[in-house]
Amino acid sequence: MIRTEEMLLNVGPQHPSTHGVFRIVLKIDGEIIKEATPVIGYLHRGTEKIAEDLQYTQIIPYTDRMDYISAMTNNYVICHAVETMMGLEVPERAEYLRVMAMELNRVASHLVWWGTYLLDIGAVSPFLYAFREREMIVNMLNELSGARLTFNYMRVGGVKWDAPEGWIEKVAEFIPYMREQLKGYHQLVTGNEIFMNRVKGVGRYTKAEAINYSLSGPNLRCTGVKWDLRKNEPYSIYDRFDFDVPVSDGGDAWARYQVRMAEIEESLKILEQAVEQFPKEGAILAKVPKIIKAPKGEAFVRIESPRGEIGCYIASDGKKEPYRLKFRRPSFYNLQILPKLLKGENIANLIAILGAIDIVLGEVDG
Amino acid sequence: MLGLAKGLSYTLKNLTRKKVTYDYPNEPLPLPDRFRGIQKFYPEKCIVCNQCANICPTDCIQLTGKKHPDPAKKGKIIDTYDINFEICILCDLCTEVCPTEAIIMTNNFELAEYSRDNLFKNLEWLDENDENIRKVNKA
Repeated sequence: MIRTEEMLLNVGPQHPSTHGVFRIVLKIDGEIIKEATPVIGYLHRGTEKIAEDLQYTQIIPYTDRMDYISAMTNNYVICHAVETMMGLEVPERAEYLRVMAMELNRVASHLVWWGTYLLDIGAVSPFLYAFREREMIVNMLNELSGARLTFNYMRVGGVKWDAPEGWIEKVAEFIPYMREQLKGYHQLVTGNEIFMNRVKGVGRYTKAEAINYSLSGPNLRCTGVKWDLRKNEPYSIYDRFDFDVPVSDGGDAWARYQVRMAEIEESLKILEQAVEQFPKEGAILAKVPKIIKAPKGEAFVRIESPRGEIGCYIASDGKKEPYRLKFRRPSFYNLQILPKLLKGENIANLIAILGAIDIVLGEVDG
Repeated sequence: MLGLAKGLSYTLKNLTRKKVTYDYPNEPLPLPDRFRGIQKFYPEKCIVCNQCANICPTDCIQLTGKKHPDPAKKGKIIDTYDINFEICILCDLCTEVCPTEAIIMTNNFELAEYSRDNLFKNLEWLDENDENIRKVNKA
């Protein structure tokens, strides 16, 4: 007679595949997960509380450190919220620079996901290919903003720097190059039988579950919901570009993979049009007072980050600091479905499911 | 099996590609002019307006001024200027608000020290830090 009993298994907080400091306490019965309890907060810095003592310009570098894989979208959401409150008109050239920076960052973010996800499930070389191309994007953003990760590039009313000489041409050259490399990525991974067996049918949820758990981004679109804020509630100048919203209806890790890979192509499409339409001259910063004060009231804006809908709520009492600032951080919301997905799964699928959600711990913990 | 073979052919194709890695630190790393490394400070340009200390999100800049030694001249000159580099996040806001460009960024990023005390950069250190200074400081 074999005696079996339940066991508690602690994963993390320093586990290579959690990409940060994320901990899950698992109750397992042999190889099967009975219950999973995520423990978060190891990277909590209290950004929202700190922001209550900061001027609006000073908050921007803090947003860099939330979703550090795509800091440009975080930069944008806070600037966009303040601009909405003040009713500021952003110069066209600045808007194009913002869109280009955000889309480049989206490609870089999906490349990080692609590389590390495959690394998590056991393939080492795709990571090196992904980072080779990401390095080019990071170098371009470095030339533009002066940093490789924490850009602090956008300002209320525009951007900090104009494009350096030859930068637009570099972006234009990068687009066909990246398209070529994407074909190689598909050749390397997409048809691979081991990979397909590893992701097909893993971590499946339905459309209704995705909506009820308020998932967003590729995690929502993988169930067939065609919802992208760039299309459905166009902000900035996204209504000027022609692009598709990739969807898939599997609802599993494989569907999420397909959606993200297709999104890279769509981002390249947007970039191509932005380069073409880029105004030759113009201001990069609107006329803003030296000390920015949002008028009394409140505002909520939301935009599409690579991970989902990132929202920013500001309540202002007319001072130069916000009275209350709240970020809707997509990684945090997307993570909520994890315990449900893990229940009854094999322990070997834990990392494949967690990785497919694509979380950034700086954003989960805030 | 076909997928595996296709993937392997991509790997083989990449064998002949040019190397993409840098030989750092044996060769210096090329960085763009805008890159944000530790600050350089020009004491003679500073007008003690305190704007850098006020805009700093982490409050890492501390400065004091004194009266101009020449009684005929108005205004203050800088006395002490310290950056606590333990908490500086290199956000570039201090250089952005400086009206006289007395504080600007350099490309120096190799800032590891053996002691935390060495991360406390004072006026003399910041004055002598004059390699790889950013050429264009304002957009």
